[in-house]
Amino acid sequence: MQNGDVVHYELKEFQLFEPLFRWARKKSLWIVAFCTGCGGIEMPPLATARYDFERFGIMPNPAPRMGDLFLITGYVTPKTLKRIIITYEMMQDPKYVLAHGSCPINGGVYWDSYNVVKQLDKYIPVDVAIAGCMPRAEAVMDGIMTIMKKIEDGTADGWKRYRENYEYYRKNQDELFGEGWREKDARRWLAWI
Amino acid sequence: MDMKEKPKVEEKVQGETTVEEKPTLPDTKEGKLVKALIEKAPYAEGEVIRERRIKFTVPVERIHEFLELASEKFEMLMQISVVDWLKEGQFEVTYQLWSVSESVHAFVKVRIPRDDAKLPTVMDIWPVAETYEREAHEFFGIVFEGNPRLGPFILEPREYEKHPLRKDFNTLSYVKTIYGEDFDRYDESKTNYVI
Ligand code: SF4
Repeated sequence: MQNGDVVHYELKEFQLFEPLFRWARKKSLWIVAFCTGCGGIEMPPLATARYDFERFGIMPNPAPRMGDLFLITGYVTPKTLKRIIITYEMMQDPKYVLAHGSCPINGGVYWDSYNVVKQLDKYIPVDVAIAGCMPRAEAVMDGIMTIMKKIEDGTADGWKRYRENYEYYRKNQDELFGEGWREKDARRWLAWI
Repeated sequence: MDMKEKPKVEEKVQGETTVEEKPTLPDTKEGKLVKALIEKAPYAEGEVIRERRIKFTVPVERIHEFLELASEKFEMLMQISVVDWLKEGQFEVTYQLWSVSESVHAFVKVRIPRDDAKLPTVMDIWPVAETYEREAHEFFGIVFEGNPRLGPFILEPREYEKHPLRKDFNTLSYVKTIYGEDFDRYDESKTNYVI
């Protein structure tokens, strides 16, 4: 990475307060409302009275710039993956990715489909993956608990891995979409990229 | 309906002079619709599948003419669907029409050869056909002559070239070339399915 020495993941001066920051991050996960695949349907039960994820500080918010938690709720097609990558890169650090269902793990029922990305982990780092097709709301709550624990002990480090292994992720993305896809496609939706 | 149909069939067997095997149309609104259309277009075959559902089979050359006739009663084109009959070397294109005035759903089926898949566009009858034709073109490679916007539509360009819903498109080998061989779902020896 060219600007590796400019970026500090955790400011040295504030090392002392790091546990406090982690606690605060864990308690205020704002999700990016980008529902891919079947799992968007599992969000309403989570958000409404029965499971009510807002009591953990999880809140849907409209802009990726304000998001902390990126929910990949189901299968990812190359076309969606382009948007996912751009959205993921637009999010501020620290950012976490929670993948629902078998599809982002290994393709799920679409394992031989021409149009579903098989391993999401090759293109963006996934912090927690919940298996199941589709995981019930209980399982998703369990995944959210896991990611909160991981944030607290500092093992949810997908955003660091993305910076450190940017070349690897970039190589895989370019292999799938062809070189220069950002210039060709992404600029059509986001003129300022 | 069955009770009414049976005696008529028997009559035919006794007479033995009538070669027509056309099943008689029931005396319902569907039956009347089919009858009226068949009278205007004798080249088509029509039948009633069940209540509110009818079916026509039309030869390729006259499909546009037939649909134009049908559009008097059937105001809406709901979908154009395609079935790939690989062994017979044919595509079966189904125009699904909906009659708002009669509440009847009609299937208009036409068969075209796979290697020379061409159909006239029906955009002049139902402008909405543009989207459906583009989709059928993209997934099956059928050329709708007269549709100005045929070409890559939803898929990535490299998928568009292969027309992925054709039955002879090998998805597994395509997947391996595009997404890599290392997905753990499938074991080539078929001794071990990891599900
Ligand atoms: S894992 Fe199942 S429910 Fe989830 S996106 Fe895939 S097919 Fe849909």
